[in-house]
Amino acid sequence: MKANIVIVGAGISGVAIAYNLAKKGVKEIVVFDDNYLSGGATGRCGAGIRQQWGTKNNCILAKKSVEFFETAQEELGYPRDIEFKQEGYLVVATTKEEDIQFAKNVILQNSLGIPAKVLTPEEAQGIVPHLNLDIVTSATFCPTDGHLNPFKVTDAYYLAAKRLGVKFFYEEKVKEIIVKNKKIVKVVTDNYEVITNKVVNAAGGYAKEVGDMVGIDIPVYSENHEILVTEPIEKIQGPMVISFSKNIYCQQVPHGSFIMGRSDPDMPKGHNTDSSWHFLDEMAKTVVEILPPIGDLRVIRQWGGLYNLSPDRQPIISDVKELPGFYLACGFSGHGFMFAPMTGLLLSEIILGEKTTLDTTDLHIDRFKNSDFKDYEKSVV
Amino acid sequence: MRIKEHPILKFEEKKKLSFFFDGKEVYGYEGDTVASALHALGVKVLSHSIELHRPRGFYCAIGNCSSCMMIVDGKPNVKTCVTQLLENMVVKTQVNKGDIYEAN
Repeated sequence: MKANIVIVGAGISGVAIAYNLAKKGVKEIVVFDDNYLSGGATGRCGAGIRQQWGTKNNCILAKKSVEFFETAQEELGYPRDIEFKQEGYLVVATTKEEDIQFAKNVILQNSLGIPAKVLTPEEAQGIVPHLNLDIVTSATFCPTDGHLNPFKVTDAYYLAAKRLGVKFFYEEKVKEIIVKNKKIVKVVTDNYEVITNKVVNAAGGYAKEVGDMVGIDIPVYSENHEILVTEPIEKIQGPMVISFSKNIYCQQVPHGSFIMGRSDPDMPKGHNTDSSWHFLDEMAKTVVEILPPIGDLRVIRQWGGLYNLSPDRQPIISDVKELPGFYLACGFSGHGFMFAPMTGLLLSEIILGEKTTLDTTDLHIDRFKNSDFKDYEKSVV
Repeated sequence: MRIKEHPILKFEEKKKLSFFFDGKEVYGYEGDTVASALHALGVKVLSHSIELHRPRGFYCAIGNCSSCMMIVDGKPNVKTCVTQLLENMVVKTQVNKGDIYEAN
């Protein structure tokens, strides 16, 4: 088999890149995944769409992605509802430091056209009536943030890309990428050998391992982040409620279930995605403290998925100077799902040598060559 | 229907418990679960399916199937097949996914 471009990974990033390239007229695009569509981090994510970030890059990526999601159903010609529910994110502050930091974040967000605002605890309770005011010092709210169904929007991208001629292979592990004279020549999988000189690394939790195949050391690592989902009830909560100091995000999805997650500071690096009783215990305590009535609900199931963390908690969307033809979309640090439309657009522009919609200097892998790269994203759970 | 005569086992009459089902005062017996008392009274519809709101009745009787979820003393989604009946309980048929604000 021959291909113009091989994309490793059929999560939201991989399918968004495939779709954007195909839309720009690129033929013979092949996507491999050793699992199935959205079988990795995409299908395991918290399904939140947030524009309230602490760094300029993340704000712009999120805002432009939201603009895409608002019309994605028509743009991608998807026959079903992708369940984009814009009822906001309520970012809860519980310390003085957070009050100050979040107010600064809102100034940055507003300067970039993101309609976030600072709220008093009482105003926050007006939006989420069951919020425990004893621990809230202030909050910020952006009404155009919200929820999106990861399975459906990935399926929408996939079907649109397929209609444009992209070929997808599942349960097909990329085993080797052969490089000769600093040029990619071939991709070897379980059942195929594909002659190509362009490879996109959109392998999510396995991005570092794909980089290792071609001798490119990507400064990312993977870490298990756990989530649980409750039984459904009638709607009581519009926005996602998130707190960095309390280490929680929790939203009620359109079906009525609550999805919630938190990170574990003692989680070892690696590719384990097991569920733990420890998470269940800590998660239950946290959610009951911040949103007490949720404690009455039964937990239906829990699962884990991989964050792929970069040193500054911002994505790597770039080419690689040491190996022309090798492209990166990784290190999303837990937010690859909500940035995917921009990932797809920017990487397609980089690959085709077009002028990029945004300045991508700060998304380039080379920013880590200076140990004092400037922005670090603190707004991460 | 309750078994009153049995060739081997004896069913001694237990204390009568009064409770409320959808506003009406009715009776069960000590040792009943809410669902067994309702079953004995001929109540076949306990809850409703989430998507199409079709009636759901007594099914697994061991707290697994979620067919018997009702509003008990204001609390929705109570598994009545594994909830012991108490005097003066207020039991209501649930028609939606459960409203936890009504409970508080």
